[in-house]
Amino acid sequence: MSDYSYMMRRQLKWMFYLLAILVLGWGFTDYQTFFSGMILGAGISAFNLWFLQVKINRIGQGIVDRDEKKRTLGMLTRLATAALAAVITIRYPEIFDMIAVIIGLMTPYLVIIIDYLFHQTELTTRKRGE
Amino acid sequence: MLAAAIAVGLGALGAGIGNGLIVNGTVNGIARQPELRGTLQTTMFIGVALVEALPIIAVVIAFMSM
Repeated sequence: MSDYSYMMRRQLKWMFYLLAILVLGWGFTDYQTFFSGMILGAGISAFNLWFLQVKINRIGQGIVDRDEKKRTLGMLTRLATAALAAVITIRYPEIFDMIAVIIGLMTPYLVIIIDYLFHQTELTTRKRGE
Repeated sequence: MLAAAIAVGLGALGAGIGNGLIVNGTVNGIARQPELRGTLQTTMFIGVALVEALPIIAVVIAFMSM
């Protein structure tokens, strides 16, 4: 399996761990509005993360195969899902907290940066051909 | 409404230019050295993800201001 596939799995794994912790927080604490907002934001951004990973993998495969088909990064879809989260939050403010949704939408970036910092030495110190 | 449109439009414009530059560099790199595809894709993924953080926030702020 390539470095990129490992990275995809690691990042999605950490996102699912985070979602599990948020569900525990929603079930066992009194801050249900906050945690449900975080779950909404983190769930939608986990989908965005997976979608971006798949799209980039398809673009890379297309270049290697010399495929002439036009491919996109799917930015409009990701912006639309963020808009969906905002609309749901504005429509149901008694269930979802807006600040929590925004924090949830930004969690995959933390996951990406921390994952990169932890694994960049593996990528850069490996010898050629290993 | 106009403020929301300007926020989303300018955010998406900047992200579009940034994504275009990143994809351009990666496509050139993979076409020259296909064996480096994994590393280049990882770099491209991190770049695109970080570039798109701003327009996502812009969309949310635009919907809040509407």
